[in-house]
Amino acid sequence: MLLLFAGIMVVVSPAALLAVLGLATLSRTPLSERSVSRYAQASSISGLIAALCILTYMLTMDIRNVPLDFGDWVSLNNVAAESAHAPPHVEMQPPGALESTDDAHTGQFHFLLKFVFDRLSIPFAIMSFVLCGVIGAFAFRYLHLEEGYHRFFLYYAIFQLGMIISSLAGSIETLFMGWELVGLSSALLVAFFHDRPAPVQNGLRVWSVYRVADAAFLIAALTLHHLSGSGDFETLMGKGDWPAGHATITENQALLVGSLLLFAAAGKSALVPFSGWLPRAMEGPTPSSAVFYGALSVHLGAFLLLRVSPVLELSPLLCGMVVALGLITMVFAAMAARVQADVKSALSYASLIQVSIIVVEIGLGLRYIPLIHIIGHACLRTLQLVRAPSLLKDYSNLENALGDHLPDSGSVWDRRMSPSMRARLYRFAWERGYLDSMLDDFIVRPFINFFKWSDRMEQRWTMFLAGTKGADVKLKKENEEA
Amino acid sequence: MPVTTAVESTEQLVRRLAELLPLQGPITAFAFLNPLQGMEDRPFIEALRQVGEVFGCHPFLPEASYRDKMARGRITVDGLNEILAEESGFDGDYTIGGLVRHASLRQSMLQHSINPGTEHELRWMIAETDAIQRFRIETSHGVRESMIGSTRQWVSNEFPVSASASKLNSTDELMDVVQNAIPRTLLGGSGPLDESVWETVSLALLWRLLRTRIQRTANGHQGRKPQVRHRDRLLAISSEDSDQLVHEVLIRFCSVFLDQGYAQWKLPQRGTGFFQAFLSLFSSGGFFSKRWLRPVAAEVQRIHEAGMTALESLEESLTLLGIAPHEKENFVRGSLLALRGWAGMIWQTEERPDRVYIPSRHGTLIEFLAIRLILERYALKWLSRETLGYTGPLDRLREFMATQHSENGAVVTVEQRAFPLLQLAQLHGWTPRTIADLSDAQWQELVHAVEIFSSFERRRVFHLAFERKLMKHALDSVAIRASQPLISPKVSQLQVITCIDAREESFRRHIEEVAPDVETYANAGFFGVPMYYRGAGEAHYTALCPVVVQPKYWMVEDVVYALTDSGRQRARARQLLGTATHRFNTGTRGSLMGAVLTALLGPLFTVPLVGRILFPRLTAKMHRTARGFVAPPQITRLRLERPEGTPAGPDNDGIGFMLSEMVNMSERGLRDIGLTSGFAPLVIILGHGSDCLNNPHESAYHCGACSGSRGGANARAMAAMLNDPRVRRQLLARGLEVPEETRFLGGLHNTATEVVKFFDLELLPASHMRQLHLAVDIFGRVAERNAHERCRRFETAPLDFSPAEALQHVDDRTEDLAQTRPEYGNSTNAVCFVGRRSRVRGLYLDRRSFMMSYDASQDTETSIILARILAAVIPVCEGINMLYTLSAIDTRGWGCGTKLPHNITSLLGVMDGAASDLRTGLPWQGVDIHEPVRLLFIIESTPEAMLRIMDQDPTVGRICRNEWAQLAVLDPNTSRIQRFVKGEFVDYQPSTTEIATAESSLEWYRGWRDNMPFALIQGKNGI
Repeated sequence: MLLLFAGIMVVVSPAALLAVLGLATLSRTPLSERSVSRYAQASSISGLIAALCILTYMLTMDIRNVPLDFGDWVSLNNVAAESAHAPPHVEMQPPGALESTDDAHTGQFHFLLKFVFDRLSIPFAIMSFVLCGVIGAFAFRYLHLEEGYHRFFLYYAIFQLGMIISSLAGSIETLFMGWELVGLSSALLVAFFHDRPAPVQNGLRVWSVYRVADAAFLIAALTLHHLSGSGDFETLMGKGDWPAGHATITENQALLVGSLLLFAAAGKSALVPFSGWLPRAMEGPTPSSAVFYGALSVHLGAFLLLRVSPVLELSPLLCGMVVALGLITMVFAAMAARVQADVKSALSYASLIQVSIIVVEIGLGLRYIPLIHIIGHACLRTLQLVRAPSLLKDYSNLENALGDHLPDSGSVWDRRMSPSMRARLYRFAWERGYLDSMLDDFIVRPFINFFKWSDRMEQRWTMFLAGTKGADVKLKKENEEA
Repeated sequence: MPVTTAVESTEQLVRRLAELLPLQGPITAFAFLNPLQGMEDRPFIEALRQVGEVFGCHPFLPEASYRDKMARGRITVDGLNEILAEESGFDGDYTIGGLVRHASLRQSMLQHSINPGTEHELRWMIAETDAIQRFRIETSHGVRESMIGSTRQWVSNEFPVSASASKLNSTDELMDVVQNAIPRTLLGGSGPLDESVWETVSLALLWRLLRTRIQRTANGHQGRKPQVRHRDRLLAISSEDSDQLVHEVLIRFCSVFLDQGYAQWKLPQRGTGFFQAFLSLFSSGGFFSKRWLRPVAAEVQRIHEAGMTALESLEESLTLLGIAPHEKENFVRGSLLALRGWAGMIWQTEERPDRVYIPSRHGTLIEFLAIRLILERYALKWLSRETLGYTGPLDRLREFMATQHSENGAVVTVEQRAFPLLQLAQLHGWTPRTIADLSDAQWQELVHAVEIFSSFERRRVFHLAFERKLMKHALDSVAIRASQPLISPKVSQLQVITCIDAREESFRRHIEEVAPDVETYANAGFFGVPMYYRGAGEAHYTALCPVVVQPKYWMVEDVVYALTDSGRQRARARQLLGTATHRFNTGTRGSLMGAVLTALLGPLFTVPLVGRILFPRLTAKMHRTARGFVAPPQITRLRLERPEGTPAGPDNDGIGFMLSEMVNMSERGLRDIGLTSGFAPLVIILGHGSDCLNNPHESAYHCGACSGSRGGANARAMAAMLNDPRVRRQLLARGLEVPEETRFLGGLHNTATEVVKFFDLELLPASHMRQLHLAVDIFGRVAERNAHERCRRFETAPLDFSPAEALQHVDDRTEDLAQTRPEYGNSTNAVCFVGRRSRVRGLYLDRRSFMMSYDASQDTETSIILARILAAVIPVCEGINMLYTLSAIDTRGWGCGTKLPHNITSLLGVMDGAASDLRTGLPWQGVDIHEPVRLLFIIESTPEAMLRIMDQDPTVGRICRNEWAQLAVLDPNTSRIQRFVKGEFVDYQPSTTEIATAESSLEWYRGWRDNMPFALIQGKNGI
């Protein structure tokens, strides 16, 4: 019973914060800065305590997996095609007692809202609560009197809820839900200062990359449903507790689903070729750019790979792809990080290096090390990003301690490389690997051109059907607009 | 900007226009200078008239904000009238178009918001509100009645009967308009109509009439802005911004070029200069770069092979872009200012190489401009092809674009022009009939009178009225106080010399309230000791003097000989720690080392993270304790003296001052502030500085007279010189006797935590311990009081704080990682008083006044002392004031916007977010309580002396004559005040002889957050 209550608390406390702040905004009831901060604190603390309770309980009782099943949120029978809200029967089953309730191959559409507490989700959720809570406390004072104060905390609430749902997700559709909330709030936070053009443009860019990654995720989810009849990770990964699960699909299926998920993870974790968005995301207020992209959401891709690790294990080729992508990203990020002259870009590439190493670790079949690595990196990077405005003071303190200007750390680079090679590499790093322009060229441009072409075709078709000449159509259009 | 001469070369032009660039160098030495210093050669208002076009920034606050001040009584109707009455060529009693007094027309335009805003706003307003169906709320009942009555009469009686028989002298066209505006039902039916229908009819008629008439009236006041830059026109017609393309490349290049050592890989060929480094970077690779940028490689190759210099390339670009000689100035100016933060920083590193580690060589700004124009050419080529389908040569591009239709052009629509008239008609009761009856000449006069009183003019009047009210209040208060007897203790136990900073006003006031027998003085915070200074445990010299001065002396702080060993050990410990920290920091940013460090040690960092944010006080305490173990030993000495005859320099014998220099500085230090007799046994000289965390703008809180550093060393040096018996002997020979028992003590006032720290205490003789204890006790009590007074401005500090709680609060702010307002610096400054403290002692000036001590009776006939004081005080204070004022007026334009997205770059400055222009000026969090006004100098002197100084000193003359600051003189013997108006001094008639009084400062300000009126603080025994 306690476990059930705690489990619900973990999910409900961030949801309640969103409800309170959201309703206050909707009903135009301005809350004072103080009460916003109180609600946010209460939400983080209650969620954290509940998560810690579960952890303690699981450790003392030596339970490794506690599912929390809210049942199907939506369930569509394809025969009757009628929708029915499942009664919110929440059940908390002791491990092992869970019957296979999946309706495999019955051809139903269902959205299974399920959370699971295991050795992967609990540390991740606790980390999210701690970092969000700390950053919340930071932001209360940092954003004092700022015009967008309430807007920030509304996005913050969405973000925190998204992180918790993603970490605890027990089915792929639940994970997708959290994933979307994180994506939405991140894009909105990047565009937080919407009275300047750059944040809005960069926010839109982040959003576009996320959407592409989401599309891959969605296809993967559908495929998974198709293959196993359910999005429940338990069905997919077998009964073993994480990380000991065994997936029930074939190697080729795993390769297909895995590649799609890897694609999705690459978008979310800014792996090559999507790396361009990460430094661009540093437009929001420092606390949001700090945790949200630099430390938390950038790890979500790696987290996804960890969550579906049993699928990875099925296909050595897939593992190879994961390792290769990680390595490429690492090399790229290490170069790009070395030429950045501003602190936020430098830190975002430094983050990317670690994320790509984490991805390599996952590809190599490690499970606990990447998890520890994620947590350690998130904490350290959050601190560094939050202290980024201290850079000048830190530098002057360091120089005073050393008694001179800081030593040139690029000596090897200066000595061992031929000038022309150096110039080439420098240009490559300075242009951030040309990743943005290549995306623009090879994906965005053909895409736009295709739609422009479609538009022209459509016009011609209309003209043909209407039996009129172009001028008339244009005139009509104008008339309609008027 | 003097007038262009015919032979001015492009190089000279660029150098001349560079004066318009922001004057801020590295952000660690914050430059408090007027952002419009390059325009100080013309009158203030004239300069502001141009800033919209030149900089794209606001000259004044928005009208709504002035109306808000009006609602709060900070601007009065009388005040507005007073300003209007002073306008040259303005006759308020003249009746415009036979309709309305000119003065009353302007008043109504000021008091009521009648502006429709943009075309789209207006369209929305007409469609979605009842702006043209119902009268304004302000419309009086009488106007409403008569308007409806007259319309009803006009329409139902005269008009439908017979148009030809009407007495109207309007044209047929006008009749049509009227007819069209009247609903058919009205003309046909005869039944009684609702009042509200008539209201709508009246307004509809008016609206129609006004629009028709204005259509035929030329708009003589809102000409289209000249679009010399191709980019401006392109943006207007295609909504594509070529600057966006150019800047993305240029910002990234500037940041690595100017980088002072942050990036691990240095820009290759940096030493060859901006132009060559860019060429060589772009000559290789780049196949996958942005499409518009790809052809640049070939161009770079061509320029490289042709061996062109930057200047040649610049000239070539101007030709290729088709810039005619007469457009050159505007074009170059626009191109320079488009990315002015970076351009300004390049200019600063070029002009003041002494202020940066890696300077730029002479001519870098020209190289920057040359590169900019190369990029601009290709960006324009690309965009004009992509969006306009233009493939011709660039020098014809503007002609081509001129033929293109612009959707969001700057043309003012008929509706936008008619709307204000509709509002005025409702306010003044002009019926449709009246409008129709106006002759063409009358009508034009009316339109002209309305349109010439533009948004700029209205805001100017508002601003001047606001300034005037505050000025009168200040002058009245000073006059009243000055008419009362001087207050100075007969025998001073203690004398305190502080900086002229506005923050020290309350500090001094509280000292005097706490200890009536203490005298306070103020001098510019570097105390006349300009030097490069390197403290014990510091790696580099810092310039401690106003930003415009280049010091000629060097000063070093050494650990005393007895502690050399301990000092050396600690230095080694610091070095080890520093190396480790540096390795760790670089490690976490690297790959493999980073992986090991983050995975192994990462979780440990939750401790400092949580500690710093949730328990800042405890963490700071632990931090301080830990640092105490390795800090340099507390007992140090300045290396004050260098041998007579050796040249000054940064090493060995060059450090310090020669005895003769010390004597000169000492003499000046005392004579400037008029402290030449009546010395107390202990004289404390206090520099000031501030503490805060996580704040790139930290330097802006330090002493503005020390280029944004702490002024403690200057105070310490001054005290040490004055304590030197040899100096005293020579001073005596120059007629300045400092009694033997008088000791000087240097110190540092922390304006954030209110802590006062003393230097060289161990040199203070035992005989002076009593005075020292007295001083410590006084400063302890003052700290609480001053903190309390400051806390009233912090919204997070409850108004019912006790002084002790307030002191804790201000201390906490400095240790809070998330605090964006550690203190408010010189925010709210409005006045600068130069004169004897005894004349204004006891006046509560609300931390709004700079204070400089000066005693006219000790000056020479030709006011040599005043002249040299003002040579520093006027530019320094005016610079601080203008920076605050302009930053508060347009925080994004002149200031650096909100601090939240700031991103430190190149170790030199901050950008907004991922990449932007370098942001200069003050952040919003530093000026949100500042009221923009020009500084009012009140100088205890005579008009003759001031006029003479203005003639002698071109800078002072320029600032005062061109009205960049307001000026008044207070007679040294009476309370007569004369204001400097349009080049001459005129008597000021105080508007009141009454002033609020209170028993203490606390009693006066308690419970208030906003600015306070000035008041007399009369202690229990009259101070």
